[in-house]
Amino acid sequence: MKLSSVKYLTGTGIKNMWVNKLMTIASVGTLVACMLIIGVAVMIAQNVTFALKGIEQQNIIMVYFNDRNSVVYGDATPLVEIPKNEDGTRGEIPENAYLVHNEQEALAIVAEIEKLDNIESVEYVSKETSLEAVMDKYLQGQTEVQGVLTEDENSNPLSDGAKITVDSMELYSQTAEQLKTISGITTVTAQGDIADKLVAITDALRTAGFWIIAILLLISLVIVSNTIRVTMYNRKLEISIMKAVGATNAFIRLPFVIEGVFIGLISSGVAFGFMYLMHSAIVTELGRVLSLSSIVPFRTYALNLFALFAAIGLISGVVGSVIMMGRYLRKEGSEFRAL
Amino acid sequence: MESLQNPATPLIEFDGVSKTYKGGTHALQDVNIKINKGEFVFIVGSSGAGKSTFMKLIMREEKPTTGQIRVNGYHLNKLRSKDVALYRRTLGIVFQDFRLIPTMNAFENVAFAMHVTGASSREIRKSVAGALSVVGLSHKARCLPAEMSGGEQQRVALARALVNRPEMIIADEPTGNVDPNMSYEIVELLNEINRRGTTVLMVTHEHQLVSDFDKRVIMIDKGKIVADNGDGNGGVV
Repeated sequence: MKLSSVKYLTGTGIKNMWVNKLMTIASVGTLVACMLIIGVAVMIAQNVTFALKGIEQQNIIMVYFNDRNSVVYGDATPLVEIPKNEDGTRGEIPENAYLVHNEQEALAIVAEIEKLDNIESVEYVSKETSLEAVMDKYLQGQTEVQGVLTEDENSNPLSDGAKITVDSMELYSQTAEQLKTISGITTVTAQGDIADKLVAITDALRTAGFWIIAILLLISLVIVSNTIRVTMYNRKLEISIMKAVGATNAFIRLPFVIEGVFIGLISSGVAFGFMYLMHSAIVTELGRVLSLSSIVPFRTYALNLFALFAAIGLISGVVGSVIMMGRYLRKEGSEFRAL
Repeated sequence: MESLQNPATPLIEFDGVSKTYKGGTHALQDVNIKINKGEFVFIVGSSGAGKSTFMKLIMREEKPTTGQIRVNGYHLNKLRSKDVALYRRTLGIVFQDFRLIPTMNAFENVAFAMHVTGASSREIRKSVAGALSVVGLSHKARCLPAEMSGGEQQRVALARALVNRPEMIIADEPTGNVDPNMSYEIVELLNEINRRGTTVLMVTHEHQLVSDFDKRVIMIDKGKIVADNGDGNGGVV
């Protein structure tokens, strides 16, 4: 098609929108409504995901190594029988009763952990570091107790261990199980059920979002198709003349497709504007009761939202007009008159 | 495409053409006809005689049930759907009900037929002005159809049919919706266009007009050619 034809037909498409302005307004209005529902679904999904991210601090697994303290104070089973003193009390723990004797051996286990899949990071936590943390958090000012705990190297009851951050919450429980099989790890502290619930919520949100968007997209398509059908009916005279003077199907189709595309794009712009205003209003209202940091800023998903709206507008505009035109273009002049 | 340079080559050729519609109506039966380049032919017949089917077959709105149709070098039986548009550009069609777009003025209505061919704005301005001047309506170029009489509207439709310089004008009862004086003027205009070399095919049931102009007349009745005062070679049957 020549450039002059494209220019002429683009102008015709835009002019048609103005001539059929009531129908255009009705279509834009309904499409905007569909897009707003989609937009609200996106907004909710964004904020819920953001809120879940906070809880996702649970993607941490603590493991404790099989060291002397795990045998003495923990629930690790000694690898050899521990001798008893003459008075019946427990004797000295032999070195072969446990697996981790020094930092090198602990770091070797850390290296083993790093080899697993789904590991984002592993941080070696020595028993000294753990003790400091416990004293900081729970025993501040209790100098007597602190003194007992730090009296000598055997007075710290805690074990060496590692703080592991997992990649995917979906595989959280599986990773916890794998950690249990590593030799030298005696305790695995994992919150598998919370992780599973989080994954279930995220999955449900994703599925619901997909269906909401799919159904609304279908509705948008029907709306645009209907507009085009009404436009075609109103312009059957013009189309019959076009056919009589030798217009190709592409020539007849283009103004309608352009009309569909413009309706789609205008709707996406209007819907985007509404979403921005809605977000501002929500921030103002919720800002009084919640901290602003708990609401996802509009700009973080604005571009994606606009792209989604524009895609919905374009797809429904193009597909809607092409579907409708296909049915009409097979008709001849006299059949149009009979419509 | 066959050559059109030889004036003896028929511009329209119907060879054993019959058309039966889905309901079983036999609209045309065994029609054999030749119309040469440069002829002016009246197609006459009563309502339901088969005139409209004859015109629809030429415009390729319908295909024959049996027989062959060749128009303007195109073999209409074999014409592919995508070539129909190109074929129609070689025809200029005038309808009884004018078929002007009410929201476009006379100039735009005529230009519309040229936009379809992808003509440039400059070509369109020049040719549309020329076509409107041929039909004597240059002064009404900016008028909407509603601001013109029936006769004027039909002349705009004629300008639209002429603007792409077709080989042939097909006029389907062009005087059906205009007063008798204007009818005469329109046929006179078609006659003038014919004198300039364009073949004209006009369907009518106005016997007075037919007798006023001494032209070839083909009469159709009950789907058959019942009279033809020319044989496509200039002679009278």
